[in-house]
Amino acid sequence: MVERYWNIVVALAPFLWKGFLETLIVSLVGVVAGSLLGFLIGVIRSQRVAGLTGLLGAYIHCLRGTPFLVQLYLFYFVLPNTGISWLSWDSRTAAFVALSIYTSSYVAEIVASAIDAVPVGQSEAATAVGMTRLQRLWHVVLPQALKLTVAPMSGVYVMIIKSTAILSVVGISELTRQGEIAILRYPRDILFIYGVIAAIYFLYCYPVLRFARWMEKRVGSARPTELD
Amino acid sequence: MSWILDFYNYKIVAQYLDRFATGMAATLTAAGISLVLSVLLGILIALVMLSKKAWLRRPVAAYVAFIRATPLLVQIYLVYYGLPALLPFAKSWSDMAFGVAALTLNSAPYMGEIIRAGIESVPRGQFEAAKGLGMTYPQRLRYVVLPQAFAITLPPLLGQTAVLIKDTSLLSIITVFEFTSAGILLNSERVRPNESFLTIALGYLAIYLVVLLLTNKARAALAGPAWNAGGR
Amino acid sequence: MLNLRKTFLGVVAACLGIAGAAKADEMDEILKRGELRVAVQSQGAPVSFVNKKGERTGLAVELAKMMATDLGVKVVFQDYDWKGLIPALQAGKVDMIAADMTPTPQRAAQLLFSRPMFYQETVAVALKDSPAKSFQDLNKSGLNLGATQASSYGEAIKRFMPQATLKEFAGGTAAVAQALSAGRLDGAVSDLGNVSNFVREFGNLKILDGVITREPLAFAVQANHFHLKHWLDNYVELITADRRLDKQVEYWWNSSAWEKDHK
Repeated sequence: MVERYWNIVVALAPFLWKGFLETLIVSLVGVVAGSLLGFLIGVIRSQRVAGLTGLLGAYIHCLRGTPFLVQLYLFYFVLPNTGISWLSWDSRTAAFVALSIYTSSYVAEIVASAIDAVPVGQSEAATAVGMTRLQRLWHVVLPQALKLTVAPMSGVYVMIIKSTAILSVVGISELTRQGEIAILRYPRDILFIYGVIAAIYFLYCYPVLRFARWMEKRVGSARPTELD
Repeated sequence: MSWILDFYNYKIVAQYLDRFATGMAATLTAAGISLVLSVLLGILIALVMLSKKAWLRRPVAAYVAFIRATPLLVQIYLVYYGLPALLPFAKSWSDMAFGVAALTLNSAPYMGEIIRAGIESVPRGQFEAAKGLGMTYPQRLRYVVLPQAFAITLPPLLGQTAVLIKDTSLLSIITVFEFTSAGILLNSERVRPNESFLTIALGYLAIYLVVLLLTNKARAALAGPAWNAGGR
Repeated sequence: MLNLRKTFLGVVAACLGIAGAAKADEMDEILKRGELRVAVQSQGAPVSFVNKKGERTGLAVELAKMMATDLGVKVVFQDYDWKGLIPALQAGKVDMIAADMTPTPQRAAQLLFSRPMFYQETVAVALKDSPAKSFQDLNKSGLNLGATQASSYGEAIKRFMPQATLKEFAGGTAAVAQALSAGRLDGAVSDLGNVSNFVREFGNLKILDGVITREPLAFAVQANHFHLKHWLDNYVELITADRRLDKQVEYWWNSSAWEKDHK
């Protein structure tokens, strides 16, 4: 029995490894690009610029209120139907863009609430010493706010890593997809193979969560606030 | 109007309205029941995680870590095939019951985390004052800590609820016919991807917006305008 | 005057358009690109799967490879899941779909199908100790029958076993077989190739007597790609005549000869 399972693991190892690398690359790109975009949106949103706040709120709500599968689908299959040639992406590009935009909606909210969590007195004191709005943001508010974002951001990263499982819809052979192909070879062991996949995700995600816990203890975490 | 029909033929969608309605009912049922159950279980998890008894905290922490670091897809399969082997009476459960069980088990740790943060944000002094007034532990929880914690945690709870609602779409792997399935059916029978996927998106967005509205109402009602005004 | 100018411009644009179209149709595109882009679905042996060496193979895949070789171009496979196949074709991500797709009237309203490449037989499968002998025995109320989500197998259950309850699985045929083997279903419906594969894998299943439907399976191209569609039809004619199609169907479909090479 054990030998049978061991043989399956050995036979599948190269495919699952390939799938894991794909998951790793896509999730890293999504996380990095999504964080940059989300950071920008979060900062702008926290500045309460008339008109922009509502617009960005709608952006965030639309992305959070609809399934990622549907968003991915729109980016890969529907955008090319508009006939604009530079919107016709291959699966990699579509996956990167969709994942980054999805990530940005979560990151934006965390960044905005972290900025709000910095005591108003800090900003007022900075005004008193004659700093401009941008200087206050850059030198006083952001350094403090960024520390608060680390812990909740890790939770989002783990969520994003797990979301990459859907990317097979556009033809990306990531970890879950490789597992499903493997299941067709060993249909009887569907539960075992899903178990192996779960273990690999766990090995990737758990350290991120531990890091978040550790950071939270060190610097505290931002409480996400209302979106509107 | 013909350009709309080209891009989104609502006449085809209209033919599938009953299927979408059936799917929506299943999605709302699964999400609603799982939401209530996972908040209750989440409160329990939060209390355990805040307790000082390690023998109680350790196993719960392991369960939380497992749920948070593995995909829901796998968890659903494990519940669907594993639960009947573990609990013989679960054999006769409907697919929906398995779905709700899986979603609850998946969602509760996130709820627990949010509630824990909420409880910790209630100033210690209040708890001690309530103790001074002679309140018992359940009374302190019920009248002092939980109402405040709940008002504070409503926005993140909303976020988690939105995730939960979207996650119900995975129940189709254990044959629950929910909202996404209706769209997949349309696409398979009529080969109209735009109609299928845009309708799915609009449906989920509609639920999300209703939940958003209710949350804001609940927040005002629960804590009162004075509490909200005193915020930031 | 303005109208005249508009008309003139329109005529010029139309001429250019026609000239452009006549110059480069989808077939020229493929030859110029040097690549035949094919959408496949890894739904399982023997139609389309990944073998022990990690190579994509199966009846539909081998036919597509053969076509590319005869055209003198490289074949590039894009792996989608079932719901991604048709959108991928419509969005121009691939030149054709090579999968076990039945040319239903609704699908044919959106795509062009080649002449049937091969036929699949839909059969029912049950637990070994089930009292059912033929698929008709499964047509009883209170029985749960499984099929993959939004498939023609589900349609077959609705049409031929209307008394039973249909359970549609989004997770693919392996999930259906697992549910059946674990006792969560009383029966399931799929194609003969897939089912025989599962019966060998799971010790406790049996195929029930009777073929429920015999469905033509065809390759699909975009609705306005007439040249490619006719090329495919011609190809079916040709490989039928020189018996290459027979050989492939015999190897993959009617025997288990492929197993020792690929499993």
